[in-house]
Amino acid sequence: MSKQRRSASILRRLAVASVFAVSAISAGAALAQVAGGKVVVAQTSNPPSLDAMATSSAQSRNVTMNVYETLYGFDENVVPIPILAEGVDISADGLTYTFKLRQGVKFHNGDEMKASDVLASMERYRKVGATGNLLKAVESFEVTGDYEIVFHMVSKTPTFLESFSSPRAPAVIIPEEDANAEAGKTSLVGTGPYKIVEYVPDVHVVLEKFADYTQDTRHEGPDGFGGKKTAYFDQVEFRIMPEPGAQVAALEAGEVDILDAMPVAAARRLANDPNIKLYEGTNWAFATLILNTNEAPTDNVKFREAVQVALNMEEIVGIATEGLFTLNGGWAYPDTPYDVGDIGAKDYYNKHDVERAKALLKEAGYNNEPFSILTDPASAVHSKSAVVIAEQLKAVGINAVINQVDWPTALKIRMEDTGWQGWTLSMGIEPYLGPAAIVATLAGTRPHFVKPDPVLEDLYLELIAGETTEARKATFAKIQQQLYTNFGIIKLGDTRNMQASRANIEGFKAFRFPRVYDIWRAK
Amino acid sequence: MTAEVTLADNTVSLRADMARARRRRRGQLVQRLLGHPSFVIGATILLIFALVAVLAPVLAPYDPNKNNYRFVMMPPSPEFWFGTDAFGRDVLSRVIYGTQVSLFISVLVVICTGIFGTILGTMASYVRPLDGFIMRGLDGMMAFPGVLLAIALAAALGPSALTVVVALTVTFTPRTARIVRSGVIVVQSMQYVEAARAVGAGHARIILRYILANALSPVIVQLSSVFAVSIIAEAILSFLGVGPPPPAPSLGNIIADGRTYIQEAWWIAVFPGLAIAIVVLGLNLMGDGLRDIIDPRQRNER
Amino acid sequence: MILFIARRLLSAIPVLFVVSLMTFFIMWLVPGDISAEIGGADATAAQIEQIRQQFGLDRPLLERALQWYGNLLRGDLGHSYLLDRSVLDAVAERLPVTLPLAALGLLMATIMGTLLGILAAVRHNSWVDQSAMVTALIGLSIPDFWFGLVLVILFGVTLGWLPTGGFVPITEDFWGWVRCMTLPTLTLAFTHMGVLARMTRSSMLDVLDQDFVRTARAKGMGRGTVIFKHALRNALVPIVTVVGVSAGVLLSGAVVIESVFSLPGVGRLIVGSIQRRDFPIIQGGLLVTAAVFVFVNLAVDILYGWLDPRVRDDR
Repeated sequence: MSKQRRSASILRRLAVASVFAVSAISAGAALAQVAGGKVVVAQTSNPPSLDAMATSSAQSRNVTMNVYETLYGFDENVVPIPILAEGVDISADGLTYTFKLRQGVKFHNGDEMKASDVLASMERYRKVGATGNLLKAVESFEVTGDYEIVFHMVSKTPTFLESFSSPRAPAVIIPEEDANAEAGKTSLVGTGPYKIVEYVPDVHVVLEKFADYTQDTRHEGPDGFGGKKTAYFDQVEFRIMPEPGAQVAALEAGEVDILDAMPVAAARRLANDPNIKLYEGTNWAFATLILNTNEAPTDNVKFREAVQVALNMEEIVGIATEGLFTLNGGWAYPDTPYDVGDIGAKDYYNKHDVERAKALLKEAGYNNEPFSILTDPASAVHSKSAVVIAEQLKAVGINAVINQVDWPTALKIRMEDTGWQGWTLSMGIEPYLGPAAIVATLAGTRPHFVKPDPVLEDLYLELIAGETTEARKATFAKIQQQLYTNFGIIKLGDTRNMQASRANIEGFKAFRFPRVYDIWRAK
Repeated sequence: MTAEVTLADNTVSLRADMARARRRRRGQLVQRLLGHPSFVIGATILLIFALVAVLAPVLAPYDPNKNNYRFVMMPPSPEFWFGTDAFGRDVLSRVIYGTQVSLFISVLVVICTGIFGTILGTMASYVRPLDGFIMRGLDGMMAFPGVLLAIALAAALGPSALTVVVALTVTFTPRTARIVRSGVIVVQSMQYVEAARAVGAGHARIILRYILANALSPVIVQLSSVFAVSIIAEAILSFLGVGPPPPAPSLGNIIADGRTYIQEAWWIAVFPGLAIAIVVLGLNLMGDGLRDIIDPRQRNER
Repeated sequence: MILFIARRLLSAIPVLFVVSLMTFFIMWLVPGDISAEIGGADATAAQIEQIRQQFGLDRPLLERALQWYGNLLRGDLGHSYLLDRSVLDAVAERLPVTLPLAALGLLMATIMGTLLGILAAVRHNSWVDQSAMVTALIGLSIPDFWFGLVLVILFGVTLGWLPTGGFVPITEDFWGWVRCMTLPTLTLAFTHMGVLARMTRSSMLDVLDQDFVRTARAKGMGRGTVIFKHALRNALVPIVTVVGVSAGVLLSGAVVIESVFSLPGVGRLIVGSIQRRDFPIIQGGLLVTAAVFVFVNLAVDILYGWLDPRVRDDR
């Protein structure tokens, strides 16, 4: 009981903080926006690339989504909306998508965006795009006018527009001149409200307001990745600061205006600081534990079930996120279109049932084989949840050991078919994109849990062929049930994120990347 | 690494040490050491830490790896003397077990450095054709910045306590080998070695009985600073994310975990930091004592 | 003297060769590659293979090594996988951070260390001696990153006197540069002065006890003159050696300081490149740092030879 009270009180305190932030925003909206000046955003590591389509890194996205734009992108409610496109006509058979482009949109180099630029960008995406299968459904592109381009599809793909809008490695529009540039070698020209003027690795990326930015006047203000964007600051600096403690110190000292990832303990300490505003974003990521279904002891479904019922999710995610979490055994965020409740999860999620786990282990014939949990220290959620999971599994008699290696090594090991049993992974972008994106990582010839599950494979094909949201949701309910039958991947919980700014920064809202447009510094 | 420097100050006084070593009379050594205040203080500190390490299971009030979500980041209290960390684990118990891990790593580093340094140094000086080859190799290793070498090795071998031992041994061996080599070269030309050779003693006997036995004292002093340096180096490697992996505590990785909370929960990083400072202080004091005793000229003045 | 320098310069070649061989060996051992940074957690096996081909990582190590040495002979250290610049540029743009940091740290450590050492030697066996040596020992016994974090919170946050981190080039703003270098320098100096203080003290004690100093004192020379003219100059030889070794150590100690204070130095470049598997930078960066280390030690040897002519014949 007191356990629950404590986590509730943490949440309440944070909720108070975010309410404060929201009220500050509405108060700010009444004030006049102030143009000019410079804003400094701190983030932990370098963007691996500023070539937006060539990387799926969040550290890159933080910068590039202020610089580049896509034809279609998600709005605040994760519904695709046209951004650089005027709109799209989808033929009745679902085999042609005719995109009309907005006219008069300027690139940072002064040229106007035309269909030929879109064609060049799409062709380049096929070569260097980091989400390889994003355009797999498209057979060919055809330019049918200066402001019109047609996508001819291989087959009917009802979910195409959703996946095409994905910000994971966004299919951004760049000028035709960059069509043949190798990955990472473009001129960094986009159509967004800011342009890149300098990148010094380990120091900063500096953006400058693009004076000739073409606003999307169909909207009142920014909406998700699109909408009407207004650049107020003349200059934006994304500063690279590896130490979280140093980031907080810099925010307190006023050297930095916005923290992309605010440490929770510091947020709690500064909740009542008049100089600091906090922004809590819900539905940030899924914390998961992936099991290797190809190797003993995790090749035995009874053993995997034992792991599932042994775990105390509240403790795992609570410690891993320092209290910034929601317990949810479902594979969609609560109250989102694909939320199917606790189907399948009801009897398995957050049980912490030692006796049941021990019985299952006995049934599985478990003989103290090592259970090696792969994890990496680059993500606190990854490494901390591994530590807590290992302790809980030891308590039911599983010989759990932690194999903490750096990120490239972890990715190398998990591609092996043997040599690991568990892998902690925080899925950020997939749950945001929806069921198809999550299930895609669990289907195909090499799912995350190694050995393909034929039932899940069939359900995946059914899901992406589903004509309507209702049909797809019905399939998704079956998928969730199957995930709690196969136990190849264990859902630990939903995590939230925390961002912070100086109190005089107005207009900032928690989102999947720090939007540096439509924010300004109060006089 | 702070302390590689410490290693150097031994190189410098090497030649003097050699002379002193010759004059040393073994029987009085223990007596002299026990009469030396800083050696006694240092040795006492080390002994206490060693006892803590050995008796960890008896002394630690809690299981050092037991998470407790209800007691996350509690300040020091009668229940948790050193407070709790971000997992709700008792910091005092972790410091106690961390002392065990840190001392274990350092002792292993000292042993390995001593063995490899002695072998390489003796080989270089005794087997002349090998000298240039070995010394260039050691120079190359020395020119490789220690911390970076350790990080690269940790990436290659995967982080573990053993990786830390390997990385630190590779870092500290060259300088130890150099000291051994210079020492052996000096001793080699001594009359008693030549006498032994004239009498027809075998190589193995000459090396073990005469040369090493007499070149050993600077190495012992050197290794006492390797000991101190290893403890700090372990902390630095943990800070850089390549120390002993979780959940087992080491003094370094407790600090590394706690550094994010240094403003919110200072106790997590401060107590293991103090433990490091005290044990390293003890080791340095002991090393000073050893050096003084081996150096009779200074002893007479004090 | 010229012969001595030339010989030492030549002997640097095998040393650097050993360093580069070791680097290749380690890179051969290291699992994973650049595809992790580019492809991320969801990359398929085919994507990973494509990335490996793009950077030539599918070719055998020996072939890559031979090509690398070939390019090196033409003065080409290669091109970074990720940073969109040549290795030489990437390292060169970081040296103005790391070299001044190491140099200032060393300078300050030397000044603080020798002063403490002299003080202790002159007031031998007094409370001054003891507190100076305890200070030196504390510096030796504290992990530098820990001390740095405490300084950041004290001076950066609580007092607000100095920036908490970051770097301002000296060419842009001199006082800004001084302010951002103060805490990192102080951290380096405090944790490195201990050795110098102890070294100075013991060699001063040695020298103060020697006949010529006693004679000078007996002849009625002033205390200050004796200390600085006779004793210190003779005590300098071992101190210079320690300074030389420290220089190399400070270069790698800078790795930690650069992380704590968010300074874009060579150390952080190489550490980051190891974590990202940006092999050309690791290879070239380690070679450059090793070269710096070798040349600093050469300079020390020359200085040493100048202070103590016997050394030259010795080697």
